[in-house]
Order: sequence, then structure tokens, then C-alpha cells
Amino acid sequence: MSNPTSQSLIEQINLLEKKEISSLELTQLYLTNIEKNKDLNCFISLNDKALEEAKKIDKLKERKSLLQGIPLAHKDIFCAEGYKTTCGSKMLENFISPYSSTVFDKLKKSNSIMVGKTNMDEFAMGSSNETSYFGNVKNPINKKRSPGGSSGGSAAAVRANLCAFATGTDTGGSIRQPASFCGITGIKPTYGRVSRWGMVAFASSLDQAGIFAKSAIDASIALEIISGFDEKDSTSINENVPKLINETTSEMDHIIGIPFKLIEKINDYKVKQNFLDCIDLLKKNGIKTKEIDLPFIEYSLPAYYVIAPAECSANLSRYDGIKYGYRCENPKDLEDLYTRTRSEGFGEEVKKRILIGTYCLSAGYFDAYYLKAQKIRARITNSFKEAFKNVTVIAMPTCSNEAFELGSIQDPVKMYEQDIYTIPANLAGLPAISVPSGLINKMPLGLQFIGNHLDEGKILNISHEFQKITDYHVY
Amino acid sequence: MKISEDTLKIISQLSKLEIEDVMKDKILKELESILLMVDKMNEVDTSKIKPMSHPLNQAQNLREDIISENIERDKYIKNAPHSDNGYYLSPKVIEQK
Repeated sequence: MSNPTSQSLIEQINLLEKKEISSLELTQLYLTNIEKNKDLNCFISLNDKALEEAKKIDKLKERKSLLQGIPLAHKDIFCAEGYKTTCGSKMLENFISPYSSTVFDKLKKSNSIMVGKTNMDEFAMGSSNETSYFGNVKNPINKKRSPGGSSGGSAAAVRANLCAFATGTDTGGSIRQPASFCGITGIKPTYGRVSRWGMVAFASSLDQAGIFAKSAIDASIALEIISGFDEKDSTSINENVPKLINETTSEMDHIIGIPFKLIEKINDYKVKQNFLDCIDLLKKNGIKTKEIDLPFIEYSLPAYYVIAPAECSANLSRYDGIKYGYRCENPKDLEDLYTRTRSEGFGEEVKKRILIGTYCLSAGYFDAYYLKAQKIRARITNSFKEAFKNVTVIAMPTCSNEAFELGSIQDPVKMYEQDIYTIPANLAGLPAISVPSGLINKMPLGLQFIGNHLDEGKILNISHEFQKITDYHVY
Repeated sequence: MKISEDTLKIISQLSKLEIEDVMKDKILKELESILLMVDKMNEVDTSKIKPMSHPLNQAQNLREDIISENIERDKYIKNAPHSDNGYYLSPKVIEQK
């Protein structure tokens, strides 16, 4: 038998069900992989109770969930009672969560095993993993390259077989871009589908949790478990969650919408060609396509870089050095305590975004920036609504490039442009997925499918169709 | 949009952040380049558009106003960098005359 850690989640579930492997054995194999791949820097902390938990799970007579006994990793943004939750920041370096996030709780109740908490850009602000206080993660495919961000640790951990699947969060592309860079599948569901309770806040109207896995089928199993209404999150959607694995594998008629005007503008001809090749392949397999127009989509990046920093500046005002987190030494008065705590506790990128947000929200600028951005957000959302009248899903590249070399992008705006194809789905609150679409320059690239609100099943389904006719997700 | 050093001073005070002198030029330049990118928004006519704050335009859920859990003060205060007898400690804010 090949090493089970390199198999898909669905195969591992099968092995556990047939008792061909125990959860303890599987967990031990993953911990061995983690130890061997320490240099990737995927984890901020490990769960030293993982083996003990696996032993307990093995003693259970019945399997109450598909994920029972499966080792997974959580992005270190999800609070887990009794465990450190650092969010990649010095500010929370020693913070031990006194309560658990709904995502953590749901996976715990499914009897899965958390092996550890993964590295990330500080407070999820970054597209390269280089803003983490704990040092960047390395891309397992080429260690000189970025794994993407902000959920780079989770993406790299799945790719390097350090866990069966992992959680992540996506505010502007933080699941899909790292999934593309590491050659795996990453899904961000509809805004409100997964509870934000206990997930450290960055930009509350955009933040959404999701899943990294080796395939659309694997992702569907984990996503279904973490989805659902939660009264603790006031923006949670009160809608039933369908059986996602069934939706993923059922027969569906698709019409894929292609925004050709946007595709024409892709600078890198290899990225453009990769995308067009994927569409041709889908067409050859009988799937219909239709040209669509998405007016205003080019204004997604400017609108996002007002809304996200504005909400970040409000959310991060809670870090005051009093209730929890870092506190500066010997403050001379309260003002000094606040200012030095925040100046010493936050990294450069976080400070920059707080400053931008504060500027955009300050007296005299609110209408020109925040309100204007919210209006553009409405226009972008409407253009998606129009498009979905004629198509079932929309396809575009996940990223305009393959994983870049660590340290190679210094200009902040150039870094922000990493997310030009992923941000629109966050602004409109739409579910979106990235699946591997082949290699350019020996590095993976991602194909993105965006669905209408609550249509996670449809984007998983088309991704599964694509994975049936390609082997880019097999490694 | 040009940001003056005075404006940077005001927003850093509002943000309770101190910008070191050596960093000022770099931060000013970066903020300006971000705001320049953001200013592209002005090309869009939004005169009759309502601002959108929730992507699904959903009203916030409200729950019944009943006690759902107990506050476990000791558990929560454990994370405070300085506390005493169940109280958070901060530097003195009222001076004695």
C-alpha cells in the first residue's frame, strides 16, 4: 500500500471505514511528515494531544461522521479553546483562546483530529505569506517560491501531505490564490455560509472561511461539515446546506460564462493560453460556454482597497494592550500604552492598512472613499447578477501568474494586484473555487469557477467534471 | 491624492500608531500609491446607486434577548497582560491634585 497520507481524503475515509488503517496510524504518519518538512514552516503550533485524541477516536464503536479519525489542520485564525491562536502576529503570540470558533467546534464534533495550526500572513493581510511574524511558509513545489497568502500554511500543508485537508479564510483571495500557487483545490463558499464566530476578524463584510483539499470531492465533504446557520454570527445565512458530495458528483447541465473582455487583457500569454486550453477541453467534453460581460469588474481592486482597510482599521482597534495580547513595557500613561503596544505589536503591512482605513473613514473623506466603494460594490454585484441570468457558473483564471519568488514583489500595489481575479467574488459575496489547471514554468496554475449565491454545489460539480478529464490535481 | 506629513500625523494619532521618522517617507510614498490606485473609483458613475454593506443585502439576524451563557471572568481575564483580583489593570488615568 502506498503511503496513505498521499491519498485523497475520500480514499482515507474508505481505509478507516474498512479498518485497514486506524486514526492513530494515520495521525502518526502525518506527524512524521510534519517533522520531516519542518523547513516549510507550515505550522505555527502543533497539537500535542493529537495522538491521544486519535487513540480515543479509534475506540469508538460507530462512525458518526465521514471525517471521523481524519487528521486536519486549521489556519491559525480560528479560535480553539485551550490552544494558541496567533493570527500570524506578535500581537497575539501568547494568546490562548478561551473559547472555540464554530468552524473548529463543528470539525471537532465530527471526530476529526487537529494536527496543528497553520502559518499565515499577519491578520490575513498579505498575498505571499511574507507578512507572518513567524516567518514565511515555503512553497513545497519549489522552496524559493511563495506558497501564496494569506492562508499559505494551510495550502502548503495540504500539498506536502502534512494533513488530509485544511481550513482557510478568504477575504480577497486568501484561499484561492494559495491553492493556485500550491496546485491544490481551494473553495471559498458564499458569504455567510460558514459562521465567522471565533474567526479573528479582518474585514467583516468580506471574510469567509473555506477549505483546502486535494480535489473537489474531498473539499465538498469538509465544506459541508463546516457550513450552516449559526445564530452567533449575525451575518450567517439561514438556509439549509445541501448534501454537497451528491451535488458534486451528480449530473448537471452547465453553461459556463466566460468574460472574454477580461481574458483578453491578461498580460502573460502562458496564463491566457492555459485558461483558453482549459475551456477548450471542457467544450470538447460537451460543456456549453457563453460569452458574458462583467462591467465594472476592473474597479474591484480599488473598491476592495478601501473597504478592506476601512473594516480592518475598525476591527483591529480592539488590540489595546489591556484585555489580551501584547502589551508594551513600562507605559508612562494610557495613551503611551495604546500607541506603543500597537506600534510594537503590529507588523508593517497591518499598520499600513490601518492607516489607509483610518484615512478613508476620517471626517471629510468617508463619502469620497468608503461610501463610493460600497456603491461600486453594488454595481459589481449587479453585473454578476445579470450574468447569472444566462449561465450556471463563471470561469476565469485564479491568478495572473504562477507562484513568484519569495521577496520578489516589494511594491504594495503590485502585491495587491495578485488578487485582481479573486476579489470580485468577495465583493459580491459569491462562492468561488480554484482547481489546478496545469503547469507554467514548472509551477502550477489555477482555474477559477465562480457561482451564484449559495451555488457551492454547482462550482464543486463543474470542478469535479474538470478533474475527471484532467490529472493536474493528482501528484 | 497627495498626503501631507501633517495628515499622516493626524491619521497615525487616530490609529494610535507611531511612525518612526526613518519610515515616514516610505510610508507616505506607499500610502500615496495605494490611494492613487483607489482614485480610479472616480471613473464610475454611482449617482443613483445605493451603497451595499452586506453582499447578500440581508438584514442582520437578531436572536432572543435571553442569557445564553455565563461569563466566566477568571477564564477570560487569564489572557490579560496585567490583571488583579478580576480587574484589568491600565496605567493611571486620573491624576491626584
